[in-house]
Amino acid sequence: MIADNDPPLSFLLNRIKERALECGGFASTPRGDYRPEATCWGILALPSDPANHDLIQRARDRLAAGQLPDGRVCLSPDHPEAYWPTSLAVFAWHRSPEHRQNQARAAQFLLTSGGEHSRVRADSSVGHNTALQGWSWIAGTHSWVEPTGLAMMALKIAGHGRHARVQEGARLLLDRQLPQGGWNYGNTMVFGQVLRPMPLSSGIALNALKDQTQGEAIQPSLTYLKSRVISLNTPRSLGWSLLGLAAWQARPGQARRQIDNCLKSQEKYGSYDTSSLALLAVALQSPGGLEDIFSVREKS
Amino acid sequence: MNTKPAPDKKTVSRKGFTRRDFLITGLGGAALAGLGLYLWPKIFRPRWHEQTFIAKVPDYRADIAAVILAGFRELGVSPAEIRGNRILLKPNLVETNPGAIHINTHPAVVYGAAQAFLKLGAAQVIVAEGPGHCRDTLLLLEESGLAGLLGEDRIPFIDLNYDDVYSVKNLGRYSTLPRLTFPATLKQVDWVVSLAKLKTHHWAGVTLSMKNLFGVMPGTYYGWPKNVLHYAGIDGSILDIVWALRPQFAIVDGIVGMEGDGPIMGAPKPAGVLVMGRNFPAVDATCARLMGIEPRRVRYLADAWRLGPISEKEIVQLGENLAAVQTKFQLLEKIPAHRGLRG
Repeated sequence: MIADNDPPLSFLLNRIKERALECGGFASTPRGDYRPEATCWGILALPSDPANHDLIQRARDRLAAGQLPDGRVCLSPDHPEAYWPTSLAVFAWHRSPEHRQNQARAAQFLLTSGGEHSRVRADSSVGHNTALQGWSWIAGTHSWVEPTGLAMMALKIAGHGRHARVQEGARLLLDRQLPQGGWNYGNTMVFGQVLRPMPLSSGIALNALKDQTQGEAIQPSLTYLKSRVISLNTPRSLGWSLLGLAAWQARPGQARRQIDNCLKSQEKYGSYDTSSLALLAVALQSPGGLEDIFSVREKS
Repeated sequence: MNTKPAPDKKTVSRKGFTRRDFLITGLGGAALAGLGLYLWPKIFRPRWHEQTFIAKVPDYRADIAAVILAGFRELGVSPAEIRGNRILLKPNLVETNPGAIHINTHPAVVYGAAQAFLKLGAAQVIVAEGPGHCRDTLLLLEESGLAGLLGEDRIPFIDLNYDDVYSVKNLGRYSTLPRLTFPATLKQVDWVVSLAKLKTHHWAGVTLSMKNLFGVMPGTYYGWPKNVLHYAGIDGSILDIVWALRPQFAIVDGIVGMEGDGPIMGAPKPAGVLVMGRNFPAVDATCARLMGIEPRRVRYLADAWRLGPISEKEIVQLGENLAAVQTKFQLLEKIPAHRGLRG
């Protein structure tokens, strides 16, 4: 594990801590308001040492205060349909004895919710298997690659790795893998044309498929992402690509330098949002994919 | 002998109407009244009188700011109207593919528009987008070449997918959406300018200044892709967004557009034009004609009559003559949304 006095990591952790709110949780931007997804990512990024303990627990409490009775965690109480932060909340509450019930209810919500699916039609304009059910970003919409990958990872760490829904999620991800390797948001072919892969979606899918499939099934995607990651310089794509490759022991040797360069780009783009900073911090600390962040911390 | 059966006193009125006659007459009357209420505003609405401007622009090396300023003059966009205002430019950033200049609004058009508004005295120009396919907006910004150009002039960029939000009741009622959730940045600007790309679209038929506004809807509330809008009806959602936002100006990049399987997998179509105007249905109808498409056959345009005109009689054409720049964009029979668009 990288020590948190390591320059890029300490920079990231300090920026994240600056966004912690008095009333618990994290804002997405400096002086911004509470955001559940920023809070989940902030909790995940910060090492659970005594110096961070209170801050992390208050953030977890704030997240718990916003959890709805059915277990979902939404972007805001006015928008219960925007439930995609639930998967992230499962991670944020992981290994917190005080929040065991919250995590169990969130996982239960994921097991009982899912994206819309329909029988496969012979005249369908899309190439993927629409009958497979994964997870959607927003209630009442189709299953897509990224929310499916995030929900699978969340259910795996919550102890549901062998659940039929996780297995169906894995089948969905393999079905949505592009013939040339990689994934995009979730369409493989539309009106007979094969679409292009995207590094962020590919990183999430690869990470989610760790321990769910054999290496040969995802080999074209590993090849795609290994060549694509070299040119990445933006936090969301770089962070998830590194985690996706790390999950299959294929993290590139220049990962640290790339994260360094990506942080320097803030001079051009302005400071990154909390989720992006935290994603880079997690990618820096976790050599074996997102779930590995917990075992790395246990060992340290 | 009278063989006629005796009338049933319970069901026949004194004038000889049965209860069934009353029911049929009543329903017929109600249907006619409903049809009248539906057609009346369509037939007897006041005539529109909107202007659109077409400029020939051979390629992206041209002085695009000068072309847009010429369009402003023709369309009566004066410095007094722009001075001191905050302008939001919303390009069409979808995906990047090395060498492909027909997918996204070209950076030169975004830059040219920014320069034109600043020249007229805008207090600030910001560029903002919430892409529907790629959750890493910075990646698109960087790989499209837009980041470099904006950086040179320190023009800020806002990722609308992750912005703070506000919600309003959906007063347009074209789709099934009860409310619309918009990025807070839209409330902080005076003008919203749609910087669209001239493209065919495999679900909507075409994607022009109005469909481009799907990109203002935050992905955090509508998903990637913005599937909530698809489930609520693409055509209705396009109209609801324009109804709620009432955007001020449209510029469509048709210097190199896209034909065939748009909006991402089609072929480049050099049309050599910029199309501009204040009224969005008028701009999109002009673009459609330019592409060899009958606007009335495009569902969202056919239903746009409360927002603006699509009839040639109600659109004053400035700049280039439409016939001089018209070029048929390829439509594909296998795509249902393309069928019958030629008129």
